[in-house]
Amino acid sequence: MALPTISTAEPAVAPRDQPPVNPTPRRLWDSPYRRSQFLTAMVFLAPWVIGLLAFIIYPIGYTVYLSFMRYGGFLEPEFIGLDNYTRMLNDGVFHQSLWNTLYYTFFAVPLGVVVAMALALAMNQPVREIGIYRVILYLPSVLPLFALSFIFWALLDPNAGIVNEFLRLFGLNPPNWFGNVHTAKPALVLMAQFGAGQIALVFLAGLKGIPDSLHEAAMLDGAGAMSRFFNITLPLMTPVILYDLILGISLGLQIFTQPFIITGGGPANSTNTLVFHIYNNAFRFGGNMGYASAMGVFLFVVTFLLAYVVFWTSNKWVHYDLS
Amino acid sequence: MKETRLTMKNSSTSLFGKRVDRRKVLKGTAATGIGLGAASSAFAVPNILAQEKAPVVFWTTHTATGFEALTQIGEDFNAQSDAYTVEVVQRPPADVTDSSSLITAVRGGEGPDVYLLDRFIVAERAAQGLLQDLTEFMEAAGDNPDLTDRYVPFAAAEAVYNGAPYALPFDTDVRMLFYNRRMMEEAGIDVSGWAPENGPITLEEAAEKFNQLNVEEGDQYSQLGFVPYYSEGWHYTYGFLFGGEFFDWENCQVTPDNENVLAGAQWVQDYAIANDVDKMYAFIQNAMRPGTPPTDNPFIQGRLGGFISGNWMFAQFRNYMGGGSATPAATPEGGGSYTADDVAYTLIPVPNEGDESATWAGGWSGVVPQGAKNPEGGYEFVRYLCGPEGSRTYTEMNNNLPVLTELTSDTELLGPDLTWVVENLFPTTNYRPPLPVGARYWDELTNAWESIYLNQATPEDAMAQVKQNVQSELDAGGYCPIENPVGE
Repeated sequence: MALPTISTAEPAVAPRDQPPVNPTPRRLWDSPYRRSQFLTAMVFLAPWVIGLLAFIIYPIGYTVYLSFMRYGGFLEPEFIGLDNYTRMLNDGVFHQSLWNTLYYTFFAVPLGVVVAMALALAMNQPVREIGIYRVILYLPSVLPLFALSFIFWALLDPNAGIVNEFLRLFGLNPPNWFGNVHTAKPALVLMAQFGAGQIALVFLAGLKGIPDSLHEAAMLDGAGAMSRFFNITLPLMTPVILYDLILGISLGLQIFTQPFIITGGGPANSTNTLVFHIYNNAFRFGGNMGYASAMGVFLFVVTFLLAYVVFWTSNKWVHYDLS
Repeated sequence: MKETRLTMKNSSTSLFGKRVDRRKVLKGTAATGIGLGAASSAFAVPNILAQEKAPVVFWTTHTATGFEALTQIGEDFNAQSDAYTVEVVQRPPADVTDSSSLITAVRGGEGPDVYLLDRFIVAERAAQGLLQDLTEFMEAAGDNPDLTDRYVPFAAAEAVYNGAPYALPFDTDVRMLFYNRRMMEEAGIDVSGWAPENGPITLEEAAEKFNQLNVEEGDQYSQLGFVPYYSEGWHYTYGFLFGGEFFDWENCQVTPDNENVLAGAQWVQDYAIANDVDKMYAFIQNAMRPGTPPTDNPFIQGRLGGFISGNWMFAQFRNYMGGGSATPAATPEGGGSYTADDVAYTLIPVPNEGDESATWAGGWSGVVPQGAKNPEGGYEFVRYLCGPEGSRTYTEMNNNLPVLTELTSDTELLGPDLTWVVENLFPTTNYRPPLPVGARYWDELTNAWESIYLNQATPEDAMAQVKQNVQSELDAGGYCPIENPVGE
């Protein structure tokens, strides 16, 4: 949906007080009509602009400012140059949390694409009770993350959890998922897939947008289901996949709730993520608001770079039209 | 202001056309304002009544009986105070080192006048600038700013940062060894020598006897004798037990790599390895989750032979196991499931025969945060809360250990269990070093501790990492030198 925007271009029908032909664009204040239009637009935009300035732009600016300060939240900030940034080089927990966050993002996001695609294909089957299946497949995504965290704790409990009970039926020796440094992160990656229903709906909309005629033509030419999926469906879904990747990377890098509720960052820091470490420094450890701000700026840069890399490579694999 | 009016004018005409002009909008607004003003003054409490007693807002994260006792103390305070009326507000509980709700409220100008803070992070919050120095309030009230004058030394030390009192100690909690005497005797294990009057047993003897209780079902433990790191089996517990020190005041260095601290960690790691690290952790993990109810404690369920915990367990045993009071050398009676009468307690076992047992304590404290709207009233309430009246009520209602010296000798108030703790454990009770990085130190030690008891790192490597992380924070904060609260 196209959103109304302020345009300096000429209106389709020129108002009375403007000459019919004017090759150079005029400034906003040149006529009472334009002024009034501009002010009306401003009034409508004001809540959003004020919100943007107060809750996004100002905190970002203040975070950057604090990242150069020694500051605990209460005493006068003290300028310490780049010390907060160089401190990241020597903070072992920061390194560990960065690694954990990247690990989670690099596994959870691509896996999420596969799972969401599978769900979307399942939701797109031409069967009569498809509505019921869609609801069932989407339901886990309705749960708030903190509730899902508690459910997962119960499911993956090493003794009484249903997952391990099931694995034992086959004579397996299941791991202590959240209690082992080797399985805690994979457990979080698996858990993230329960939220795939959300993105599966977007994928479903994408699937619906692919003309049936393409599939029919391919079938007439003898293409099988796999061939049609890889040569028609997948290429035409790439814009939606790109959207999911960008969104997934920015959300994945901000993972906080699951370690906060389930593992407390443990065992042995194996699920301590960057945002959890930032939170700890800002609110648990005294005097580290400046350092937490510096890590926040770092996270912003990392998110920006990763998103940029994905965009940069997208012209190689994203297909925006049928040509 | 000129621009604002211009915008208003244009927007009202543009938005609503000619039907509503600016004058009408202004008239309407004024009328509404006058109407609301009249309504609010009609319902307002007369000023003279509202200002009779100045309000004091007190926040606590305590729950259940602790909160009930604090509410009672608030009511008692209000009944005897002519100047102030305290409002006890329960805040959502969080990890004790997590002060985010207090920090954000104070920053937003909506902080309380009094907060109940875990004492071991008082130094950290004081260094951060969150707390008010109480010296002036104390002098104005005629109290001695030297806290050791009225409070037990290990509690007083934690409330002081760089020589200034930032809190008044409220209560304390001391660690000891609890064991299920009847369970052990029924298994044919002789624990007659475990009574505290015989002096502490050795860790070797404890391990040898507890291990006889281990029962496996399939590939899991269904019952264990002892899990050394469960409940209060912390880094500090074994560090102090083995004679370790966690801070070098002279050189302003954290010392998690102290050889005795490492020796304690090594003992725990060896014990876990000997009993299968993963199987032991799978047995205990659910009970170690933060916020688990007492009924999830395998000792209370009768599946664990012994564990290290604190004096607050006395009440929990009575509440969740039934029976009377746990006593040293309790005599087992009756059959069926275990009750509090089957529980006995003693000194924490020592590394070598003849060693003196050691323990440690923490506790809560009353503080006045920065930005308090009524700091004088706040101190007045802290003084009451942490004074004889408040402490007595809290001990009576919540069975907690007081830290006021005039109450610790009151055996009638304390009862036999707490009196035993005061007489036998207080002399060897340590405290965590009150540092501006105390919370970080705790968290780092806890992470290292997990790696150690899960056998994922050697004590040397894990503690070297702690030292690097915490010392770099201490240095970065520019806090050194730090004054030793008990002098040299």
